[in-house]
Amino acid sequence: MAQQREQDDFRSQVEDRLDHLFQEDSPEETEEYVGLGEHPLKNLKAVLLSIDWEITDSTMDSLLNEIKSVEYVYAEDKIILTFLQLLGSVGRYVKANKGKAHPEATRVINSVYEALEKAALTEGISRAEKEKMLLAEVAKFKKLKELVMLRKAEKKEPAVPPVKPPPEVSPAPVPEEKRIPAAETPVQVQREMVVEEAPVREEKETAAPGTPAREETPAEARPVDFRGMAPHEAFAYALEEIKSMILAEFRALRAEIKLWRESK
Amino acid sequence: MAIINLKKKQVQAKIVYYGPGRGGKTTNLEYIYKKFRTRIQTEMVTIKTHGDRTLFFDFLPIDIGKIKGYDIRIQLYTVPGQVKYESTRRLVLRGVDGIVFVADSLAVRRKENVLSLKSLADNLASYKKSILDIPLVFQYNKRDLLDEGIPLLPVEWLEKDLNSKLKVPYFEASALKGPNVVQTMKKIIILTIDSLRKDLT
Repeated sequence: MAQQREQDDFRSQVEDRLDHLFQEDSPEETEEYVGLGEHPLKNLKAVLLSIDWEITDSTMDSLLNEIKSVEYVYAEDKIILTFLQLLGSVGRYVKANKGKAHPEATRVINSVYEALEKAALTEGISRAEKEKMLLAEVAKFKKLKELVMLRKAEKKEPAVPPVKPPPEVSPAPVPEEKRIPAAETPVQVQREMVVEEAPVREEKETAAPGTPAREETPAEARPVDFRGMAPHEAFAYALEEIKSMILAEFRALRAEIKLWRESK
Repeated sequence: MAIINLKKKQVQAKIVYYGPGRGGKTTNLEYIYKKFRTRIQTEMVTIKTHGDRTLFFDFLPIDIGKIKGYDIRIQLYTVPGQVKYESTRRLVLRGVDGIVFVADSLAVRRKENVLSLKSLADNLASYKKSILDIPLVFQYNKRDLLDEGIPLLPVEWLEKDLNSKLKVPYFEASALKGPNVVQTMKKIIILTIDSLRKDLT
């Protein structure tokens, strides 16, 4: 009885302390957010949210299809259309490379979508502001392209027997009307970025016949079943995972430093 | 296993946020850290990959202060959610005292939630712990997306899929915006401290 009372007392003291420590005195910063409702972007957002690290053909196909649908809706809005083309370009690259796509790609997809949603939903946003946002996303896209090319170049460095050069790659199969029309606005100046040098082309080259396949690191390999494994074996696997991820991070970091130096 | 030093009257408990990838585990800790940074006066440690995903774990220590003469410290951890990091998740679970299972409410994540809960049970079993006995709280995250018309799993389905046998407390939450993030954490801390009480007497 006394023990129970003491226990209750202890518990209530913990509760009081937690209430004091984590009192949410200031109301939540409730941003006036306008939900998507039946907005054409609703499905696109749902598909984007459903893309996990374990990227599948079906999720990426849904994304690309959804982008096409929204492109149709915004056919007259060049800025939104360019956002969508950026999304489509990175989406095709991720689809072609799946888990081996550059990790920055998913970040660029999310960033482009956020900017797109803001540009499409914010009431009273000026064209200049939209263009500014778009240019920022285009810069991220270009940086991603450089990272992808650098990574590809790094992979080619190891001494491997010479292979036949990959076949000539034709420009990405995008209908002429989907290209951004050449003209005066800052947005239109960016036409070459969207499709013609899309990262997906780079990866197509990588995957060309005769090109050595990329070596799969242990962390990128299929998940191992640990249930029947001794703890020391599981530990060794974990260490391998961490090691290979750190190596991958260093590779990406080196590539960024190289880029930064070049830009200086 | 909690570190209990009866001589120094110190208790250190480990709580792990577990769940499928991109479900919001790190966002939970980030919300707590950002909102109460000045009060908890500790640093959050996070190791992310280049693509912004959790590489090993996130770590947020919280000093609750003295209660009945005991100095109580809570360590909040997350595990990496990606499927390929199974062994890392298992390592982070070592010595765990309480678990928040952060389920993803997105309709397309139904299977991933169930698989992740199963992996939690398996990993706990490898440490000879039962999911039925350990302090556990469910958090059904991303409920805010309902307002945007994104298809979500009804809470009844989540309860049926995940909590029909366990029957533990659950919260509908939005780790991004805050509702029920703190409540989830408070609940698991109280349940965990309760479970450790017998060692303190």
